[in-house]
Amino acid sequence: MRNILAIAGKELRGYFASPIGYVLVGFYALLFGWFFYTLVAFFERQSMQMAMGGPGGSMNLNQMLVAPLLMNATVIMLLVFPLITMRTYAEEKRSGTIELLLTSPLTDWQIILGKFLGALALYAVMLGVTLVHMAILFVFGNPEWKPIATGYLGLLLMGGSFLSLGLFISSLTKNQIVAGMITFSVFLLLWVINWVSTFVGPTMQTVLNYLSITEHFDDFAKGIIDTKHLVYYLSFIAMGLFLTMKAVDSERWRG
Amino acid sequence: MIEVDHLSKRYGPFTAVDDVSFRVESGQILGFLGPNGAGKTTTMRIITGYMPATSGKAIVAGYDVFEQPLEAKRRTGYLPETPPLYPDMTVREYLTFVAKIKGIRSHVKDRVGEVMKRTWVADMADRHCGKLSKGYKQRVGLAQAIIHNPDVLVLDEPTAGLDPKQIIETRQLIRELAGTHTIILSTHILPEVSQTCQRVVIINKGRVVAVDSPENLTSRLQGAATIYVQADGPAAEVQAALQNVPSVTRVTQSEPKGELASFEVDTEKGADVRRELASAVVSRGWGLLELRPMRMSLEDIFLSVITDESAEAPAAPAEGPDEEVAHA
Repeated sequence: MRNILAIAGKELRGYFASPIGYVLVGFYALLFGWFFYTLVAFFERQSMQMAMGGPGGSMNLNQMLVAPLLMNATVIMLLVFPLITMRTYAEEKRSGTIELLLTSPLTDWQIILGKFLGALALYAVMLGVTLVHMAILFVFGNPEWKPIATGYLGLLLMGGSFLSLGLFISSLTKNQIVAGMITFSVFLLLWVINWVSTFVGPTMQTVLNYLSITEHFDDFAKGIIDTKHLVYYLSFIAMGLFLTMKAVDSERWRG
Repeated sequence: MIEVDHLSKRYGPFTAVDDVSFRVESGQILGFLGPNGAGKTTTMRIITGYMPATSGKAIVAGYDVFEQPLEAKRRTGYLPETPPLYPDMTVREYLTFVAKIKGIRSHVKDRVGEVMKRTWVADMADRHCGKLSKGYKQRVGLAQAIIHNPDVLVLDEPTAGLDPKQIIETRQLIRELAGTHTIILSTHILPEVSQTCQRVVIINKGRVVAVDSPENLTSRLQGAATIYVQADGPAAEVQAALQNVPSVTRVTQSEPKGELASFEVDTEKGADVRRELASAVVSRGWGLLELRPMRMSLEDIFLSVITDESAEAPAAPAEGPDEEVAHA
């Protein structure tokens, strides 16, 4: 465990020792802030219309603001995460520091989990910044905290899935650009894979919907923790890490 | 103690290391010589557990590197060809990180300070690794290898890129470490081997071509010593005079430079005829301007080992390469 934390700490410090960490967190905050601002503005107008005797019904801050906001936040992930994971293994291989890690008394699992947790910690920092926006909602409104908590859990799980996949792709190459590009493409594919689900057969439709990484997030944003989605994300993460381990091991044999 | 037993590494049809065996006793320094691409780095990477062998085994400090990798790695320090530094970390941060992953749990700070002092990098402790000069990078690499006080040290060209003073200091450090550590170091530089190592393994195309002490190797290979003589006199006469000295087998005139005549004098094995050569020139009234044994470079030794091996010719290294080849 200490070894895992040592690697994770090194990874996290690595992000902030260079401009990478600040740029990624900064732009994440910028985009999230913009989404927040537009949704709040929209919400304001809606409630104004309601006050002036518009269509009846209740205004729900969670449903009308938080849920769409967190859905939008997943899009930032698509753009930012390839930049986080592309260097994890590729950079170590290019600079030769992988030799230090692989000749130290560490198991492959410790290195991989360390790298994964390091990247996840950076993501947690990004999410941490967005808690400011939530705090604003609590100051000026009265949203329910539970759906917000499940929403963040969902974001973290979905982020973890992407990160484990990005880690795997980075472990396949020495070239950061290649790793980044492939990661982005695969992410995007998982994003849009169920776009065709309306005109393929019902069986295919279920399969594609199940594969789609965004599909499983909806319930979390609504405040529901469904085991089905939990299992999906956790097994996705496990598979990504497992494939990474296989790639590292195979690389070792091939030299 | 390091034991390498019938080690082979194949990449598809290409054999990088072919049936290599050798032993290094505790506290000894073994020099690993060979041209680029000979399989030195591959062998070292197998010993350090970076990659597995195709067949054969390596035992480090009593642990098989493949069967018990963690135990073996805990007792091995490794300096790869390029020091594995993180450019964004300071030297102190870097060594602290390495200490942690090498399993040091207590007094990490003291240990880092100690190692920095020992490898003369303390003055750069708060500089980023990426901003260091080549010499400092190399020494931080060395610090990284010895930080957990391993039984076995594997150093891939530890003096590459250092300036002469640093080379001397590094060799000194390696010799100091030898008492308590078993060391393998690879190098291209022959004097380095004779100055630091007790045993030499010469490797070519993945195969061990010679294992011996540096003294034995040098004397075995110095079958015929060549002496360079430059004299101020009529070339043909000087040549004849030199030819008459006992034990001289052959005199060849090299490129004349103006008035001066220079010769390469081959002599029989073990005979030191420098005095006789000097007096042969001086007693005839010619000026003796230069007289020196032509040093056998690594290339010479190396090439003659290869020639010996492939031709199986009984002591015919006189046909060895001339200087041009040696310098090429």
